[in-house]
Amino acid sequence: MRDHLLLYVNGQRHEVRGADAFLTLADFVRERLRLTGTKIVCAEGDCGACTVLVGRPRGRRLHYLPVDSCICFVYQMDGCHIVTVEGLTPGRRENDPLHPVQEAMVRHHGSQCGFCTPGIVMAMAGAFETDDGRHRPEPLDADALRRALSGNLCRCTGYVQIIEAGESIDPASVPPLAQLYPEQAMLADLAGAAAQPAAISAVRGGQTMELFAPRTLEEAVVFKASHPDAAVVCGATDLGVQHNKGLRVPSVVLDLSHVEGLSDVVAADGVLRMGAAATWTAIGDITEDLVPEFHRIITLFGSPQIRNAGTIGGNIVNGSPIADSLPFLFVTHAEVEIAGGAGRRRVALTRLYRGYKQLDLAPDELVAEVRVPLPRRGEILRLYKVSKRRDMDISTFTAAVLARLGDGGVIEWMRVAMGGVAPVVLRLARTEQWLEGRPFTEETMREAGHLAAQEISPITDVRGEARYRRRLAENILVKFYHDAQPAPAGAVR
Amino acid sequence: MPHSGKPVPHDSARGHATGTAPYIADLPALAGELWVDYVPSPLPNGLLRRVDTDEALRVSGVVAILTAADIPGRNRFGSIICDEPFLPSDRVSYTGQPVAIIAAESREAARRARALVRLDIAAEPPVLTIEEACAAGLFIGPRRRIARGDAAAAIASAPHRLEGEFRSGGQEQFYLESQAAIAIPGEQGQMVVHSSTQNPTEIQAVVAEALGLGMHEVVCICRRMGGGFGGKETQAAIPAVMAALVARHTGRPARVVWSKDDDMKTTGKRHEFRTRYRVGFDDDGRVLGLSIEFHSNGGAFADLSTAIMERAMLHADNAYYLPHVEITGQVCRTHLPPNTAFRGFGGPQGVAAIETILEDIAATLGRDALAVRRVNLYGVSERNTTPYGQTVEGNLLPRIFDELERTSDYATRRRAVQQFNATSRTHLRGLAMTAVKFGISFTTKFLNQGNALVSVLMDGTVQVSTGATEMGQGVNTKIRQLVADEFGLPLEAVVVLPTSTERNINTSPTAASAGADLNGTAAVRACAEIRGRMAECAARHFEAAGGPSADPAQVRFADGAVFDVRNPDQRLDFSELAGICRRERVDLGARGFYATPLAGFDRESGQGAPFLYYTTGAAVAEVLVDRFTGDLTVERVDLLMDIGRMINPGVDRGQVIGGFIQGMGWVTTEQLVYGARGELLSHSPTTYKIPSIGDVPRIFRVAVLDNDLNKRNIFSSKAVGEPPLLLAVCVFEAVKNALTYAAAGRPVPLFIPATNEAILMALDEAAKSRNAPKESGVAVESPVGVP
Repeated sequence: MRDHLLLYVNGQRHEVRGADAFLTLADFVRERLRLTGTKIVCAEGDCGACTVLVGRPRGRRLHYLPVDSCICFVYQMDGCHIVTVEGLTPGRRENDPLHPVQEAMVRHHGSQCGFCTPGIVMAMAGAFETDDGRHRPEPLDADALRRALSGNLCRCTGYVQIIEAGESIDPASVPPLAQLYPEQAMLADLAGAAAQPAAISAVRGGQTMELFAPRTLEEAVVFKASHPDAAVVCGATDLGVQHNKGLRVPSVVLDLSHVEGLSDVVAADGVLRMGAAATWTAIGDITEDLVPEFHRIITLFGSPQIRNAGTIGGNIVNGSPIADSLPFLFVTHAEVEIAGGAGRRRVALTRLYRGYKQLDLAPDELVAEVRVPLPRRGEILRLYKVSKRRDMDISTFTAAVLARLGDGGVIEWMRVAMGGVAPVVLRLARTEQWLEGRPFTEETMREAGHLAAQEISPITDVRGEARYRRRLAENILVKFYHDAQPAPAGAVR
Repeated sequence: MPHSGKPVPHDSARGHATGTAPYIADLPALAGELWVDYVPSPLPNGLLRRVDTDEALRVSGVVAILTAADIPGRNRFGSIICDEPFLPSDRVSYTGQPVAIIAAESREAARRARALVRLDIAAEPPVLTIEEACAAGLFIGPRRRIARGDAAAAIASAPHRLEGEFRSGGQEQFYLESQAAIAIPGEQGQMVVHSSTQNPTEIQAVVAEALGLGMHEVVCICRRMGGGFGGKETQAAIPAVMAALVARHTGRPARVVWSKDDDMKTTGKRHEFRTRYRVGFDDDGRVLGLSIEFHSNGGAFADLSTAIMERAMLHADNAYYLPHVEITGQVCRTHLPPNTAFRGFGGPQGVAAIETILEDIAATLGRDALAVRRVNLYGVSERNTTPYGQTVEGNLLPRIFDELERTSDYATRRRAVQQFNATSRTHLRGLAMTAVKFGISFTTKFLNQGNALVSVLMDGTVQVSTGATEMGQGVNTKIRQLVADEFGLPLEAVVVLPTSTERNINTSPTAASAGADLNGTAAVRACAEIRGRMAECAARHFEAAGGPSADPAQVRFADGAVFDVRNPDQRLDFSELAGICRRERVDLGARGFYATPLAGFDRESGQGAPFLYYTTGAAVAEVLVDRFTGDLTVERVDLLMDIGRMINPGVDRGQVIGGFIQGMGWVTTEQLVYGARGELLSHSPTTYKIPSIGDVPRIFRVAVLDNDLNKRNIFSSKAVGEPPLLLAVCVFEAVKNALTYAAAGRPVPLFIPATNEAILMALDEAAKSRNAPKESGVAVESPVGVP
């Protein structure tokens, strides 16, 4: 057992003890290390001003990804190398050359007020990193830049000059971080520490804080049984927000992000198996060819920074009725495997939810894995996410439709799940039953839409009115009809 | 080589990109520094009976909790109408209003204490909407009127008439750096305040007021802001006063940095506007008479609301000639945070109203809206006086319309849109061109002044400071270019200092797009004065060294050197001359002053010439709407502006694009949602959606009419900060246009913002009106649209 964390920031080694382990990473670098280039704006992972690159050991390399440092905690950084905006040009003095990304931002008027700029620079620099630690072979085009920067808000520029800056950069000029920060010594040092679980106790403002970061699921289950109130943390994209807003500052934290095997994602025999700690980035990667429709929704889900931290386990256990993954998991008949003191059990995901954020999960149980039977050839899958803004927005309404059509265009079966229309994500059983055996026509789907609207109980909230959600529920089935038609040339999708 | 006219990088760009340019929150902690937080009112209206701080004061690390009773000076401020307390003493006026100030050793201690301060408030019912305020007769300032001719008669006798109501919602400034200040107590009760403010003189004044000091005992410094957009023109005052009060009471430095949530909940925003109108027009859509009645939601205190209403009224014509017109405006007092400046300052609300009226006229007549806008456009030599009597001089709008119609391929795309809408079952497209004619100058005449201090140092380098504050708009970069050119120096030889009331006094806020106009001109004037003295000295020197007889008028400053044009080989380095000047006791410092030559506007009569010139332009948007979800995509925007001869084309292009996208947010995704207590529910970027990078139109063509016609302004440039924001109204009108295709060509009511939700609900309305009988040539009562 270790009583401290080991991490590197801009190549500098830090052993973190006591209350500092419970700081957000943004506060740690700004206040403890005086690296104030990292900015805090929203403190909820929605603006990206606090973006830093986190290098995690993967094989014989450090694999760097952008994350929002304001909503992750120092304890999650155990065993990592963090690069802040100050670290892009190690040892630079005032008139030394800038990093190519910084230089391009200067030359192309990519900054105005400058407050979002360090976050933009880091997200863009991160987009030049590759899996093999070499130079990115291709320049970033506008689409790649839009994807890479979808989690960074800028209020001044209107983004065009930022995109132009990014497009102008010769990838061969961008030093890979592996080149700026030689990895082998760092990796060896970090690996030595990683073998042991970390356990830290501290007192902050009169409150005792305790962290346990196990290496095996068994250790985690034992700890959870003895600490039923412990906050279970993987990516902390939700807890980080609640912490910053003073809504929840847990005194005991069980950090699952270092549990071996819990982040694995594998597909075999028509089943996609995702460990609870698998990030959306990892799931996005594997589903790109496997389930392109799910992949498409994942790319609209949060931002790169959020997807690099947020996990499927967190999305499921958080249990929000507008969780973007759930409608898909509902129509595919996904199951979760739960580990607890009494052993393991499997439960259909649809049966996991009892009410608004109420789960069928005992205090000593942890979600270990999610298994998704993949849609088969001949089945039609469409997923919908309606939000005020396309990127980086929490859904107002979500839906999934999975269908098999029989001969003569008759609906063999159709599964419909909707989110944002009730305290939990719903499967619309009556609508599904009514649809069975009917001809797949616009008229059928219009009638089904009316039925669907009766099966839901939406509310009015900050994201939309009840009548809007009801209308979406009606319309989405008609939209599905059109989406399922073979696309004529030049059609809008 | 001159620097003005070149796209040199922002003078803080390297600092921005490396993270080394500090903002208030980044400055190193001073010894003994305290953290400042505040207790917001949980209620919008009520008697404040008691503030119980006992328990909160017991929290370890809490040093003081201050209330209105602890204000040693005057507890009242307001730059137009002095009606706002720094802290309420007897009643709370809006949810989120700071009631008590907490000073603590740490942020955490302050946060813990905040939850423990108990406010005893006798709740009273709030007034939250324009309708409620009108019913209760609660207003701020008088009802204002601008009129010409006989609008009522012209409407009554017109061949066609429309009347209806239009609304535009508020908008959060969403500067990324929230309100922040540091106060440092000095000797003899003096105070230095670092503030993220667009208006250092105002901060100096309010801190002096609150502390009972003279302005001479307070210094305010602003190095830079992480965005302002109007939100720091007046509303940096309360946070600065918070820090100053703590510093005064504890004798320790004090820092306040509001969280984004607190900032959004507590500060004012762009005003929500309600427009009621009656318009009469002919068969071509030419407006014959227009009566327009504005009401804005001013919030709890006056702030700048009456000036903002004035600018809305002065922009109700936008680019269009209105022969008979009556425009009235009234600010409503409600229990919301006092609404305030936001880029455009009422202009967008006025322009959105008239552009929507024209769009509806076109749909009613079944004509292309561009044709309707053209017949109404201000003329070059006739039909070119505004309702308030100012002539639109040097009008380039007809040329802008011609060029943009051609370069945007408007006619071809109109046909494509019609064809698409006739066949698509799933989507609708819309296309619209709108204009902007933005009046440049503060409409309050006295504010149109600027001063600058220029110092040439004996090594030949230059320091300049002005009253302009740098919020990202690049004003310091432009001033640096202008000053370097005045002395023929490289940019590196000129530093623009932080804005400080020690150097520049009695300044106007950096606002009204006029920062570079006012302060740039003042700086150039100061340079000219110094240059004149240096030229005299140089001329004497050249003569003494065997050159031509001394004639300062022949002396030139270029490429770091000084010479007489009659003998250009005899040169002095600028630095050499600076040294000579010092030894010969020539004054190398000067203060420049500029007062814009203006006739001015008489708000009582509603007549006058408030503006030095207009910045104009037009834009075309094409949008795609999903018929099933209301989902909106802005597919293409073509934009053309006259912003004169640009001092910095890179900076100005950023202003144009950034302003447009900010305006696009206002008309599409940015929605302020309030609860029953007037509490803002969309108080962070999770729920308040400003445009993200994916919202930028995939095709976005930005062009300017390169010209040096505007001799009235420095470098023949034009102000650029606000005008492009108003062009985003074309996106809204394109949505309106798309909806008409679902309503058999009729106008479909829609309000700003056109969220996906509003669009989907409007599609329902469109479907209903599609089946209604078509009327023509008679009044059409617009139904109330989507809230």
